[in-house]
Amino acid sequence: MVLAVEAKQLVKRFTGRSGTVDAVRGVDLRVEEGEVFGFLGPNGAGKSTTVRMLTTLMTITSGSARVAGVDVAADPDAARRGIGVALQEAGLDPRQTGRELLVLQARLFGSSPAEAANRAQELLELVDLVDAADRRIKGYSGGMKRRLDLASALVHEPKVLFLDEPTTGLDPASRLTVWDEMRRINARGTTVFLTTQYLEEADQLCNRLAIIDKGLIVREGTPGELKAELQQRRSLDHEPSLDDVFLAATGRTRERVAGQVQEVL
Amino acid sequence: MIQFWVLGRRAIRETLRTPESLFPTVFIPLFFLVVNVGQAGKIFPSGETAFLEGQGYAAFQLPSALLLAASFGSAALYLVEDIEGGYFDKLRAAPVSRTAIVLGRLTAEAAKSIVISAVIVLAALLLGISVASGALGFLLLLVLAGSWAVVFSGFMQIIALKSRSAAATQSGSLVFFPLLFLTPNFVPRALLTRPMEIAATFNPVTYIMEALRSLILDDLAWAKIGRGFAVVAVSAVLMVFLNVRTIRRYD
Repeated sequence: MVLAVEAKQLVKRFTGRSGTVDAVRGVDLRVEEGEVFGFLGPNGAGKSTTVRMLTTLMTITSGSARVAGVDVAADPDAARRGIGVALQEAGLDPRQTGRELLVLQARLFGSSPAEAANRAQELLELVDLVDAADRRIKGYSGGMKRRLDLASALVHEPKVLFLDEPTTGLDPASRLTVWDEMRRINARGTTVFLTTQYLEEADQLCNRLAIIDKGLIVREGTPGELKAELQQRRSLDHEPSLDDVFLAATGRTRERVAGQVQEVL
Repeated sequence: MIQFWVLGRRAIRETLRTPESLFPTVFIPLFFLVVNVGQAGKIFPSGETAFLEGQGYAAFQLPSALLLAASFGSAALYLVEDIEGGYFDKLRAAPVSRTAIVLGRLTAEAAKSIVISAVIVLAALLLGISVASGALGFLLLLVLAGSWAVVFSGFMQIIALKSRSAAATQSGSLVFFPLLFLTPNFVPRALLTRPMEIAATFNPVTYIMEALRSLILDDLAWAKIGRGFAVVAVSAVLMVFLNVRTIRRYD
């Protein structure tokens, strides 16, 4: 079995004036090549911190991580050649056009000017942005920006694509479009590591998933396995939803969550 | 090298697409030049003031205007925008040399500063100032001003990388005022009071200002020019080193 992502006892500790915070407290992950792997958790659970360590954007306090077969701490540049990254904030330069951004990104990964131009055109067609390609990005809608961000993460045909909450803030139609792109990318052989807060998204897209809470993995398996486990453990007469699995795994209840929402309101 | 080139081109494109940011960079230094000469010009009449070498007081003040213009760089603010918008992480997640990330922006800043300095010097020529060191001196003047832009923008980028805040970065630019005024800004160093002379002697901007001034007032005075270039070169290398180190440690 070839692993696209492997983390062993991954720890991230932040030390500040107000003390020490263990954001990630010993995470183990094994993601096989070709999977769409979902990484779920409530706000502040350690999802983004874990992704930032796996994508070389953050130092690892202890433990180890290999992505696309490369130790991210020992050889970050080699790891970067094997991964594509689209983070929560669509990492785009609003003053450039979509085409310029993709050409620049391809050039940074070593393409010649002609190769970069061809690759940019291919990707613009893939994410259906040909008509807007020569307009400045600051005029793009949220969905267009998200698709362009996805395209820019693919310029070098990465083995593993990290998507950190790629559909947050999108309208339902744009969300479905991004789902289609993800499926298409995965069908071409790219492993997708997806963090999301939308459980329906995880249910629809992911082969396997892990739930992180307070910096620790609290559940891992296929959506079906996780639902069956909860149904058996609680002797339910119906199949629980992934929402139920998530709430049970993170020690939350619908009533408590509703109460929290009411307090916020 | 390719990465440095494409990132530099992107930074220049960024500047060209925000022309409104260039106007104050040209206007404010010229404004200070006119105001300073208006206030102190009569104290230093050209025929009776030896340190003016036969030119008007505006020629003596021109280096301050050039240094001020070169210190109005926007590279650090664009960097904060990249950080806040997530594009900086996109660059960091690519196998891009950290030196190329730093040098791309700083070289674009130097190019911008050279063009703006040329505009200011040409405007000064219209006011009757001449560059005594000739065409070569004019080129050296532009290169020295552009090099100072690298140093000051490098300093500002460190604040941007550490603070990740536009407000903090903007405030950091105010450090230029003590740097500019603890120099032989209005009179030569020999005419400063003792405490000011000591402060000016320890201020690296003094040597750059004196080199710029010698290019305008004297023929090619290589000792002064060399000192200015040496100070700016050491400062630029230091700033690039500190920038690269800060990006490598950025978490």
